[in-house]
Amino acid sequence: MSAARPGVVSALRWELRKLRAQHRARVVLLAALLAPVPIVVIIHGQSRPPKDTLFGRFAPDNGFALALLVLGFASQWVLPLLVAIVAGDVFASEDQHGTWKTVLTRSTSRGQIFVAKTLTAGGFAVVMLALLAASTIASSYLIVGHQPLTGLSGQVIGSHTALSLVAASWATMLPPTLGFAALAILLSVWSRNPAVGIAAPVVLGLVMGLVGALGGVEAIRPLLLTTSFEAWHGLLTQPRFTGPLVDGLLVCGGWSILSLGAAYVLLRRRDITGG
Amino acid sequence: MRRIIIPVLVALVAIIGIGSAVMAGSGTSSVTRARLERSLPVSFTHLYVQQAHLLGHTGVTVASLHAKAMCDKRGPDVADVGPGGDWVGLMSWDDPQVPMPPEGYGKFELNVHSNDCFTASGPTKLTGYLTINDKSGREVTNPVFEFDGCFDPQGDNTATGHEFPSLTSVTSTTLTTDADGGAVLQLGCGTGSQGCSGTVVVTDGKRVLGQMPYSAKEESTTSLTLPAPVPATAKEVTFEVRPDTGAGPSGPVTLPVQRG
Amino acid sequence: MNNLLAVDAEGVTKTFGSVLAVDDITVRVAAGEVYGVLGPNGAGKTTFLRMLFGLIRPDSGTVRIFGRTWDEVGVGVLDGVAGFIESPKFYPDRTGRQNLAGLALLDGGTRPGLLEEVLEIVDLTDRADRKVGGYSYGMRQRLGVAASLLREPRLLVLDEPANGLDPAGIRDMRALVKRLAGSGLTVLLSSHHMEEVEEICDNVTIMSRGAVAFHGTIAELRRMAPDPGHVLATTDDARALAVAADHPEVTVAPDADGALVVTGPRPAVSAYVAGLVRADVELLGFTLTQTPLEALFFMLTDDFDHQTLVRPVREVALR
Repeated sequence: MSAARPGVVSALRWELRKLRAQHRARVVLLAALLAPVPIVVIIHGQSRPPKDTLFGRFAPDNGFALALLVLGFASQWVLPLLVAIVAGDVFASEDQHGTWKTVLTRSTSRGQIFVAKTLTAGGFAVVMLALLAASTIASSYLIVGHQPLTGLSGQVIGSHTALSLVAASWATMLPPTLGFAALAILLSVWSRNPAVGIAAPVVLGLVMGLVGALGGVEAIRPLLLTTSFEAWHGLLTQPRFTGPLVDGLLVCGGWSILSLGAAYVLLRRRDITGG
Repeated sequence: MRRIIIPVLVALVAIIGIGSAVMAGSGTSSVTRARLERSLPVSFTHLYVQQAHLLGHTGVTVASLHAKAMCDKRGPDVADVGPGGDWVGLMSWDDPQVPMPPEGYGKFELNVHSNDCFTASGPTKLTGYLTINDKSGREVTNPVFEFDGCFDPQGDNTATGHEFPSLTSVTSTTLTTDADGGAVLQLGCGTGSQGCSGTVVVTDGKRVLGQMPYSAKEESTTSLTLPAPVPATAKEVTFEVRPDTGAGPSGPVTLPVQRG
Repeated sequence: MNNLLAVDAEGVTKTFGSVLAVDDITVRVAAGEVYGVLGPNGAGKTTFLRMLFGLIRPDSGTVRIFGRTWDEVGVGVLDGVAGFIESPKFYPDRTGRQNLAGLALLDGGTRPGLLEEVLEIVDLTDRADRKVGGYSYGMRQRLGVAASLLREPRLLVLDEPANGLDPAGIRDMRALVKRLAGSGLTVLLSSHHMEEVEEICDNVTIMSRGAVAFHGTIAELRRMAPDPGHVLATTDDARALAVAADHPEVTVAPDADGALVVTGPRPAVSAYVAGLVRADVELLGFTLTQTPLEALFFMLTDDFDHQTLVRPVREVALR
């Protein structure tokens, strides 16, 4: 066989083809695109605002506040779930179909397959988050309006600035979302089971959120993946603060590197006996 | 392999849980008195200016308000650090149209979350109820009735030095006497810097029945036994609080007598 | 390059927990030959083949394919190698053609037209655009062969390619393997059926319980094979047994069901049958119990049927 040695790009193309054909992945993207619309309409119609979430008290009449309320809600378990649906499945589905032996007896190394699958999961996370953010911001902007926003220091933020701050806040979801993708990858490589790969990150996310909400665990709170989901608060105060964003970036980076490193070692050392 | 997944996951969750329990108490919370005292007036000021705007009050600006706060978490025996629903903020500000009460501040209830955000509800006498009527008569949400704020967990943590005196108040609503005319008065001492002490002068409308010295820590109550029996004819008893430390009620308090 | 061994596995051992799956086996396959690995299920064939593909790491020993090892060249060791292990698996929600196209990506591309060629070879052109989830077992098995041929291999490894197929499928698959073997390809074929390998293989390794039980050419194997056994049905078994006394070269003994089993060299058995006729014993049936190679196979793998195998087998040298 004289064909060129395949690289990560070929493997990536194959993964993307499979992902495009995957019903579940398409449903997630479609949901990210469409679900915000009815949510925005329903909250807009509420006479009693959901005050116990930040920006909830302004949400029914302020598009920016509503987009931030949805953000706060999404970060509780929706983002971990949506990202894990692909990241928790991309490795374990090979176990489910018994196809590890099929792909690993070609000319692509385990390392290349690992990189391709990880990039696929990460790329999906980015696209999913971008769709969800764009759809939420656009629908609340169009349906509820773009009145000036009251920030987290009580300051009034003009529409223009508010729009960019809301978009930036959504963008800060990316590091923890990718962290959860890495965690889902590790759990699915380890368990070889898509159900675990998808459900376990959600459960761990909820547990981390619960632990983070408790008082008296200050030493571990900054190390939790879910803490980064709240780093955007600093963008909406006056003066702004970005310390938690920087810390969150480091923490999420740490989680991702450790998870992916462990997943890589597990996959490299694994004896493929099934299928 | 598959059979061990659930036990391992349960173990993982347990480790996080137990780990948190073990770590509990270690490390210091970013929720501190100094950060709240810096953050609360900023949020309040911005929102109060919004309220003034709605009400059509002129002359209220961020610069003119000079809001200052003192925050305290549940009494003098609890460290003023960490999240909880038991924080209190005492705040003063300058608005000629809404003068401060004699003690010089209004009391805000704070619910502070571990994520460095808080929800504050204002003293309605000073800040108004859930809705207010704006200058054109429309009913609108009162921005300072209840509001959220967040602060920088790495922000300035040096003490602000803001202090307000505790407010001594009569918490009894009636005076119940026993067969001999003896009675007990309940006094409350509010959040503040030094607790409450002083004297309560008791009169039955015509003559002074006696004086009672008192001393109480912040956020506590104390019971004072009346120095003399309440005369059988007295229908009301008046108490005048004369504080040495802390602030007293704006005027004498009169309680109806209930014969036990 | 020509005398380079296609497969040179030496002293390969693998344990899973406390189970010794492959015990110090050595297999050498010359380029161009058709090699059989035989053994009952659980003998360690599949584990050995997985080690060839790098799916499983041996605990000790080395596996060289065309002179190179995994440690030296990584996945490059599979250049020119293709095949499948146990039943081939594909993505059920993709069509046959899409599956092959995807695998071609993982190969680094194929020459134009090859995909259609291999579909033609395995006779799946008509079904190539249906989802693999709807394929029959045999179609998936053929798609596995197609996926292997897509790599235009020099060494083709097929693990029990006819396993689980219906009689027509078995016939087609055997014909296909024979055709491929005839094309000059090095083929490593594993099976638990002697008849599947005896026609087409030059050399065989028989594995039993993780170890090599026999190693050599089919011709050598035939020489070691025991005499064929026949089940004899007569009108008078007692007379038949008595007649056997005149024919010392044959052994006649009743099996567990009471039927007589005759074992011995072919001329002696013929003479015995003639003797029965002369003695007026009517012959109702005379059927071969096992082919000699099959019998040998069972003997070697300790999995033989004691009822039909009459001659003592322990005299057969195992190595």
